[in-house]
Amino acid sequence: MVKTIAKKTKDKKISGRTLFIIIWLALILLILAAIFAVGLPGGEKSESIKEVMRDGVLHENDRVSLFGLVTVNPAVVSAYAVSALLIIVAAVLRIFVIPKFDRYHPKKFQCLLEKAVGFFYDMANTNSPHSTAFVGAYIFSAGVYIFVSTIFELFGLGVTTVSGGYASLPAPLADINGALGMGILSFAVILGAGLVKNGIKGMLGALKDFSLPISMSFRLFGALLSGLLVTELVYYYTPLSFVLPVAVGVMFTLLHAIIQTYVLATLVSTFYGEAAEPKKKKQKNGK
Amino acid sequence: MPLNIDFLQVLLHMLNFVILAGALSLLLYKPIASMIKSRREYYDGLADENERQAKENSRMKEEYEKKLAEVDREIDVMRSEAEKESAENAKIYIDRANEKAAAIISAAEKEAEDRKKHILESAQTEIGELVLSAAQKLVSDTVTPERDSALYDEFVRLAEGTLADKSGESKEEPTDGK
Repeated sequence: MVKTIAKKTKDKKISGRTLFIIIWLALILLILAAIFAVGLPGGEKSESIKEVMRDGVLHENDRVSLFGLVTVNPAVVSAYAVSALLIIVAAVLRIFVIPKFDRYHPKKFQCLLEKAVGFFYDMANTNSPHSTAFVGAYIFSAGVYIFVSTIFELFGLGVTTVSGGYASLPAPLADINGALGMGILSFAVILGAGLVKNGIKGMLGALKDFSLPISMSFRLFGALLSGLLVTELVYYYTPLSFVLPVAVGVMFTLLHAIIQTYVLATLVSTFYGEAAEPKKKKQKNGK
Repeated sequence: MPLNIDFLQVLLHMLNFVILAGALSLLLYKPIASMIKSRREYYDGLADENERQAKENSRMKEEYEKKLAEVDREIDVMRSEAEKESAENAKIYIDRANEKAAAIISAAEKEAEDRKKHILESAQTEIGELVLSAAQKLVSDTVTPERDSALYDEFVRLAEGTLADKSGESKEEPTDGK
């Protein structure tokens, strides 16, 4: 018994020492990166930081062709690529995996999938108790799309631009058009809920939140764009691109993916629930 | 447009998401949500059933305890009745035993009386025979018919007198014993 406690204490000491070494090395690397950033000159760039940032926001130069039909921002290609990937994965799961699921004794992977779906299913039940089926499916799809498309940025896949250059595929929602599309669609869903559940009055009631699509769109756009801009900024200077991108990439990609998924799903389900809530008839005698 | 907003691209993004949302809903959300729903209903049903069973058990326990109390009461009543009955039976048995004992005693007394009478009768016969033989011996020397007759009469008279005295004494004995 005493030996076991002593061994455990020893293990704890070792793990504490390891942690100390990791932090110490990380600190050294950070300071080195800072020294490079301050003291060392950067390499020659083909475009200025101003142009890089401007292009990151507006995508004026990096235009790509979509199926040879129209010329679009790279984010549109990202969006279709993410959707294709998700649909293929979903189809494979539906055909080969889900039929094997045990309804009453789930295994690990089933639990994982059910956890993901159950999160949005419960959110829809909580925020919109009067109408759950449609909004649950909508926020699940939006959540999965936002999460995966934000993560998608990390892969750094590239496409050839129409001008013959190279552009890496960004997160679709880091493009104002993608964010606007998501915001407008979400607002349309909320308006539709008001119209279907409470008629014209319900739709007009939801219409009073006319700023909703703009706020949702710009929130998404701003949050994801900020990550993109900071990452561009970091990568622009060679000395900064040694250690910092790891922290920056994790912070602005993974955390944004989770946070923006949660925020949009919560907002849509809450406004949807409000619009779909049956309106109480006013009593005529004013009691 | 400011911020390079392009409505064609907005629509392309919307089209993309509508396709994706429809596919994800059909392929993933609905089957898994229905699975979650059915499992929750199943376990809610089990919980309800357990609750109902618990209530039923509680009710049965109360009923059982009530019945047990009734049975205890019945047992007490039956025990007291049995005790009463056994006491009565014992009394009857004792009474019968007493009656039997009394009958045996009276039969024994009667038998003793009969034996006594029988003994007296046989004694009387033996005494008579003895006297008769003695008298024959005595009078064999002086035997006359008159004398014989007078002697017989005298003897009979004396013997009857003696017997009467003895029987009077024997009749008085039980009175003395009491």
